[in-house]
This record gives sequence, structure tokens and C-alpha cells, in this order.
Amino acid sequence: MSDMSGSDFYQEFEVFSKKKDTSPMQYQFSLLAPNHELALVMAKENFFRREPVADIWVVKRSDIRKLTQTEREGLKKLDKDYRETKGYGYLKKKWRQYEQEQFTEADIMGGGKS
Amino acid sequence: MRTYETAEEALESPEYNEALTELLFQLADDDFLLAYRGSEWLGLAPHIEEDVAFSSINQDMMGHATLYYKRLEELGEGKADDLSHLRSPEKFRNAVLLELPNGTGNYLEKPNYDWAFAVVRNYFYTLAKKIKLESLKTSSYVPLQHTARKVLMEVNYHLMHWETWFNQLIQSTEEAHKRMKNAIDQVWEEFMGVLSTGDKGDVMARSGIIEDEETIKKRWISKVESVFTQSGLHLKEKPQMKSGNGRNGEHTPTLESALDTLSEVYRKAPAQGW
Amino acid sequence: MRADVLFEDMTEEEKYEHFMDRIDAGEKIEADDWMPEDYRESLIRLIAMHGISEIMGALPEKEWVPKAPTLHRKLAIMAKVQDEMGHGQLLLRVAEDLMAPLGKNRENIMQDLFSGRLKFHNVFHMKAPTWGDAGIIAWLVDGAAIISQTMMLTTSYGPYGRALKRICAEEVFHAQHGESIILAMAEGNEEQRQMLQDSLNRWWTALLMFFGPKSKENTGSSHQDKNIRYKLRTKTNEELRQEFLTKYVPRIWALGLTIPDETLHFDEEEKLWKYRDPDWNEFKQIVTGNGPQSKERLELRRDSYENTRWVREALSSQKKAAI
Repeated sequence: MSDMSGSDFYQEFEVFSKKKDTSPMQYQFSLLAPNHELALVMAKENFFRREPVADIWVVKRSDIRKLTQTEREGLKKLDKDYRETKGYGYLKKKWRQYEQEQFTEADIMGGGKS
Repeated sequence: MRTYETAEEALESPEYNEALTELLFQLADDDFLLAYRGSEWLGLAPHIEEDVAFSSINQDMMGHATLYYKRLEELGEGKADDLSHLRSPEKFRNAVLLELPNGTGNYLEKPNYDWAFAVVRNYFYTLAKKIKLESLKTSSYVPLQHTARKVLMEVNYHLMHWETWFNQLIQSTEEAHKRMKNAIDQVWEEFMGVLSTGDKGDVMARSGIIEDEETIKKRWISKVESVFTQSGLHLKEKPQMKSGNGRNGEHTPTLESALDTLSEVYRKAPAQGW
Repeated sequence: MRADVLFEDMTEEEKYEHFMDRIDAGEKIEADDWMPEDYRESLIRLIAMHGISEIMGALPEKEWVPKAPTLHRKLAIMAKVQDEMGHGQLLLRVAEDLMAPLGKNRENIMQDLFSGRLKFHNVFHMKAPTWGDAGIIAWLVDGAAIISQTMMLTTSYGPYGRALKRICAEEVFHAQHGESIILAMAEGNEEQRQMLQDSLNRWWTALLMFFGPKSKENTGSSHQDKNIRYKLRTKTNEELRQEFLTKYVPRIWALGLTIPDETLHFDEEEKLWKYRDPDWNEFKQIVTGNGPQSKERLELRRDSYENTRWVREALSSQKKAAI
């Protein structure tokens, strides 16, 4: 396609943004632009005409290494209850035997209280 | 210097009020006409993503015009919709540069629009607009300070947008460079009209509504000088005002046809709801 | 599905079976996933047409942007037409990603539009001679579009569903913008009411056509069945048209407007709207580029694309730094 005049203008950029200073970056959509600067200038009005936005990133798609379908399908795995709380459901009953209530998540995380 | 907190206070001093309404019409009509010219581009920009971005800027500018018309409404000049749609061309106070068409043809038929002209006109205008708004932040008319602060919030994006387009096109191909230089020449012929504050400019400056014309011109020229230096361009003589001073009601016939289009529907029944 | 075989080691038949299992399980297909060629083709046909219709659909309303009666209407219609361009952007991006493996990009989409290979919705081939048309387009054409777009929100193709989600979120504003315009005119003077009635007369048949023919018999070909099998859509053209009539006919009547079809009525027994069938040959003529305003709109789009070609060339990376 490089012989088609002007089509080199159409480079793919992925757009990420966060809503508030405290929000994580989130993927939004893609757009076509000839370079990063114009991609950024256009991203703002293409994807954030109404909603508030605290930051915008544009990433050239060709710089992203994505998983292949085989790799993606390889992400599915068996349950590992030894690393999840659901594997420890019996603890509640156990503590009752000692006339103690099981700590809730908030109790365990209590150190983080301000 | 005396400040005026409300429209009522301004109205008590006829000389002040006259200069103030004059400036408000300049600010409103500038944004109104350029937003209109921009809206003619809708659907015709060089790139779909840019079409969307450009339209936001035009909406913002039309919104800014509305804010100024509302200030005029408060000063008893009439309804904002009437002010924007029913005045005759010689009552308009916009700079001539901003009424000029986007190119040859019509927005409905064979529009042969010039993107270089759009970029240069908007970029240079936004630079001037920002300088004026900065000055209005300390205007003796307090309601105008508030409006200026609001408008400034949106102007920074406009500036970033047009600056990016200007810098990229001027530094690209030979053809683009040539087209941009032509556009600069075209804009240069009328740009003094944008910087002018018209016959009432002295009163405006004296009563602290906005700083004097010379100060604003100097700031703009020094800004453009540094833009030119970066791009390897040369600043020739001062910008001109070949087709007259719109601040004093002098316009080209293109304003009349623009106003005919803008008010075609409203004029049918201004008293009705639309 | 054979869980013991790596995806890349599957045969074509196994991949197809795996794909259909995913469709049946309600999984979403992504751009880089393996997909059967006819699934890709159906998507490209559907989404490229949808996307380019948004772009071409901006043009009839755009005619009224500078002329919109008040400052508020000027701002609102600018925002609305801008959204249409924005929707076109989203949809074209989805279509372009599907076309990329075929070596095609936006330039090809534009050239296909100009050559007539890529069609756009019948409604955008019509003339819009008065402000009343701007009202009817925003109220009823958008109303019809909302019905078919919400139906496709659950589409099996993930990127299309995500684009539609963004689009539908903005359609509420469009619907209210349209309602506001037509209500103001309906409550206005005689001239305004007449303007509105004339617009309705002009647009009614085009609105019925918008959903497409009832069945294959009307056109000779229809992709409906395949699209339903692949879960690209869930309802037939006629089901959508009935929804539209149920939603809007009572409102049009409530405003005292006349629908230009004296046969139109709701059949209580069949629980269906009966209406005068549009001339589907005319429909075919229109969508193949022979509508009342087809040539002018295409020319406008083509001329502006060619006029600004120098801009895209100037910023193409291989041409940059030529001076």
C-alpha cells in the first residue's frame, strides 16, 4: 500500500486515558494519525468530548507486542484455590469452636486504616 | 482605576458603556464569524479524526461568542439571538480577516477550501485571542474578567491544536511549505484588523477595559517573530489592513452573504420559538 | 473443542468448530482471532457500510449547521453532526482492522466509496431542503438508527460491540436534540408547522426503506440469515421496522401530523403494523447511487478528499523532511 499516495498518513495509534488523577490508565480506542503529536491532539476531541479526562496517552500500535491466539488460549487455567480466599472457607467454623469470630477482610487490612 | 462590578454600574457612565459594548461586539463577532467559517468545513477536513477535533474548536468559539452576546444582553443591547442574527453588516465589529471565505466555492457546492489558510488564520487568531484574554483578566469591567477566565480554559487546547498543525505543515514537503507561505501572506494582509481595537480603542485603554492596542500588537508580533524564527521564516513589514477596519464597521461583501446564510431560518420568524 | 491441542496446531475444520463453539457460548471474537472468511466478509460489509453511512450522513445535516436558527441550535447541531463524524471514525477503525489482513486501509475505503463499490444508507441520498428536514433527520432517522444499533450491541464481534456502546451513549442526546427541534416547530406558527409536515411527507418512505426489505424475495439477496447465525444481529429487518412504527407512529399522530400513508394502521389480530410497502426497486436505485442527491453528496466528499490530499501527503512519513 505504500505506493498509494498519502496512505502512509494512516498510522494506527492506541489511545489510553484516565478519568481522574487517582484512576488507573484505561484503554479507550484507536485512531489514525501521521505521528504522535497529531494523534494526541486528535485523541482528545475524538474520545473525550463529554466525559472528564485527567491524562491521555497515545501508543503506536506497532510498538505493542500482543499475545497470539494460541498464547491467549493458553491463559486459561485450572482453579488454584490454595491462592484464593475461597479455599479457606472452613476457617469460619473453626474459629467458632474457639468462641472467636473470623477476621473479616477489613480486620486483616486494619493496619491500613487512617 | 475604577472598576465596574455590574452591568448597572457600567450603564451609569455612558462613555464607559459605549467603549465597553464596542469591545464586547468585537470579541463576540470575531468568534462568531470564525466559528461560522469553521463550521463550513464540517465534513470536509483533510482527515476524519481532524474533522472531529476541528469541530470542537468551532463549537467552543461559537460558545465564547454566545458568552459575549449574553454580556451585551445584560447591558441592554438586545437578545443574544437577535444581536447575532439580525444586525446589518455595518453594525458588525469583527475583523475583516475572520469574515473571509475558506476558499473558492460554497460550502454546499464545489467548496475548494484551503486547509493552509484555515491553519494559519486560526493559529494567528488564537495567539491574538489569548493575548487579549490575558489582558481582560484584569479588566475594569468585572463581569468581563469572569468571562475571560472561562474562555481561557478552552483556548489552550485550541492553541496546542493549531500550533501542531502549523509547525508540522510548514516543515514538511515543498508543496505544503509553499501553500503555507501563501496562506501567511494572505493572513498578513488583513491581520492588523484583528489587533486593532478601533476608534474607541483609546477610551477602552483609558478606562482599563483592555490594554492599549500598541501593547497588544507588540506582544503578538514578538510571539509570531519567535514562531517564524523556529520555522526559518522571516518577518517582513508589519501586518496590514488592506480591506478596511472591521472594528469601525468596514467590511467586504463576503460578510453580507455570510450573514444571509447564518440568519436564513431565524429571520423567517424571530419572535417564534425555534 | 479439543482442549488438548494447541490452537495453532488445529486443522482448518477444527478451527472453524472451535470458532462456532465460541459463538454459541456467547464469547466475543476479537480482531486478531482466527475467523472464517465469510464471517470477516460479513463484518466488513456491515461495518464499513455503517461507518461510511455516518460520514455521508453528516452531509445532509451539515447543510443546516450554519443556518440553524439560534445560537443554541447552532451549537447543538454542530455537536450532533460532529458526533456523526465521530461515530464514523469509530466504525471505520473497526472495519479497517478487519481489512488490514487483506492489505487494505482507509484510502481503499474512500476509493470504494467514490467508485460506488461501498454503499451507504438510503436516507443519506435524499435532499434536505428545509430546516424541518434537520428536525426530521435528528428525530426519526436517528430514531430508526438507534433501533438497529441497540439490536447489535450484543454482536459476537467484540470491537463492533464496543464501538456501538460508545455510539449509543451519544444517541440519547441526538434523540432529544431532534425532539426539541420538531416540538418547537410543531408548537410554532402555521409556516413552521407546514415546514414540518412537508419534511415528514418527504422522509416517510425513506424511513420505511431504512430497515431494508422484508425478505429475500424483495431483493434477490439477503445476508440476514448468515448474520443471525453468526450472532452479528438478533432481529430481522421487519421486526426492527415494526419496533420503529410502534415507537414513533403514536407520537407523530399525537403532534397532529399526518403520515402520508392512508393504509397505515395497527392490525390488532396479527399484532402488526400494516403499511404501504415502499417500492423496493426504487430502494435499489437509491442505494446504488441514483438517489435524488447521491451524486452531489458523493462529489462533495470526493472533491474535499482530493482538495486536501496534499495535507496527507505532506505528513506521510516517507515524504517528510523533503525540504
